[in-house]
Amino acid sequence: MRKNQLLGTPSWAGWLFVAPALIMFTAVVIIPIAWSFYLSLGAWNGLSKWRFTGGVNYLNMLDDTVFRQALVNNVFFSLVGSLIQLVIGMTMAVSLISIAKFRNIVRVAYFLPAVISSVAISQIFVQLLSADPEGFINGMLRSMGLGENTQPFLSNTSLTLLIVTTVDAYKFCAIYMAIFYSALVSLDQDVLAAAEMDGANRLQQLFLIRLPLIWATIAASVVLVVSGTLRGFDIPFVMTGGGPGTSSELVSTYMYKTLFRQSNFGYGSAIAIFLVIECLLIVAIIRKAFSATEKTG
Amino acid sequence: MLARLKLATWLPILLVIIFLIIQVFPIVWVVSASLQTPEALARGPSNRLIPDSLYFGNYVRAFETSPLLHYLLNSTIIAVLTIGLTILLAAPAAYAIEKLRFGGSRVVLNYFLLGLMIPVFVALLPIFQSLGFLGIRNSYWAVVLPQVGFQLPVAIYLYTSFFRGIPNELLEAASIDGAGVFRTFWSVAVPLSINATITIVVYNFIFIWNEFVFANTFLTSDALKTLPVGLNDFVSDMGRRDYGATYAAIVVSVLPTIALYLFLNRRIIDSMTAGAVRG
Repeated sequence: MRKNQLLGTPSWAGWLFVAPALIMFTAVVIIPIAWSFYLSLGAWNGLSKWRFTGGVNYLNMLDDTVFRQALVNNVFFSLVGSLIQLVIGMTMAVSLISIAKFRNIVRVAYFLPAVISSVAISQIFVQLLSADPEGFINGMLRSMGLGENTQPFLSNTSLTLLIVTTVDAYKFCAIYMAIFYSALVSLDQDVLAAAEMDGANRLQQLFLIRLPLIWATIAASVVLVVSGTLRGFDIPFVMTGGGPGTSSELVSTYMYKTLFRQSNFGYGSAIAIFLVIECLLIVAIIRKAFSATEKTG
Repeated sequence: MLARLKLATWLPILLVIIFLIIQVFPIVWVVSASLQTPEALARGPSNRLIPDSLYFGNYVRAFETSPLLHYLLNSTIIAVLTIGLTILLAAPAAYAIEKLRFGGSRVVLNYFLLGLMIPVFVALLPIFQSLGFLGIRNSYWAVVLPQVGFQLPVAIYLYTSFFRGIPNELLEAASIDGAGVFRTFWSVAVPLSINATITIVVYNFIFIWNEFVFANTFLTSDALKTLPVGLNDFVSDMGRRDYGATYAAIVVSVLPTIALYLFLNRRIIDSMTAGAVRG
């Protein structure tokens, strides 16, 4: 510790340098968590006086069918969304390292959806999926002779969750492509050449050598993608608003509506606290699982 | 001959082509749709991929019937303020953590990194209340300050890993020459970290330009709305009446990030993955 410290730097200088950032971060991120927790222990609509109710808000979550539906939807959204992003991201990266030319321009084009705002992506897909006026997808279905499948997709309650999950995964999958791609191209070429000389085919090289070698990157990406999907909000909120009914409601969209549409500040805060704990807990569990496999494997 | 081409050769090429089409399709479609006349748009979607004429009337109407220009301006001001403040706070903090190494600097770093795991939703209501209390709800600061707070962890993380690469001897040489702590930081460390600063600026720009939740919650006045929020309102307002203008508005909102991306594509990809992978 001491030997890394710059010569003759007094300790107060360090604190002086971090103080502004520390104050800002604490005020914006940390204090609100404590504040939300405090609010979650009472009933308040912004007009009446805050009234302490203890853990009632948390108990109410157990009986709230909308919350339970949102939680089930969120499990689907996170699980399916993460799987799509990792599998598509990896397939994109692997196919990219298998072509000889145009790698950089292809990578740049792949990445395009990731730099566009969620609102714009959502609005584009709303138009593509629309039935009145007939959007691109319905038009395609009709001209391909699949006219009986044309429909207002975002009104079909059995499809909305799948649609928002897919669009969200679509926007972010290129990030995992870029992560996997840079890990794959940085692999030691000698190892791969040796494997090829030993007669390993492309598929064997991929599954027995390349993927195990970038295992740490894959593990980090799993943590990243799951914690990303657990906070999914923009795309479901803009595309469907959680509806129709509760068909595409996520915990985050339900929390937002409870807070800012119903002004149910106590209950909304309890859901917000639930979200934080859920994120921290699931990420911790995944990390634990990966460090366990590292030890045994 | 063709049949002898190995699966391993053409399968990747086929996959790359399919992915390419999927990834660029929405943008190509919306740009092309925005350039078509209302009559062509009314004829249906089949001819929307290749516009039969270059018609800019949709753009004219989008700017005339909505405060699109105003939204552009708001987004720009908010991005500049947020990025400036983030850099101003993050660079010295990271420098102190990595180079000054005061007692407790590791704890401070871990405290900041905790922020990477916290979803913004938990802070919405408390920030909403405090902004009202401070009387700055419906001002640029209402989105700038919360965004800075939530951007700090990534910026500090990226800066600390950058400062780690600067040899201490370089900084010590400056202080032996008589430069104080501030002087060493300002005239040695800051110029050296220009590369890291650009990475952080670019990463932040994309993120802030596209930000929706804070802007949608804290800015209710029409005069202050950012592009994503304005676009969302515009579509729910105009979307049922003027599709051409809607497409044009979408294109206008994504143009700045795409233009930046065309120039700095590699750096943007690298910064977004570096900002994403933080172990």
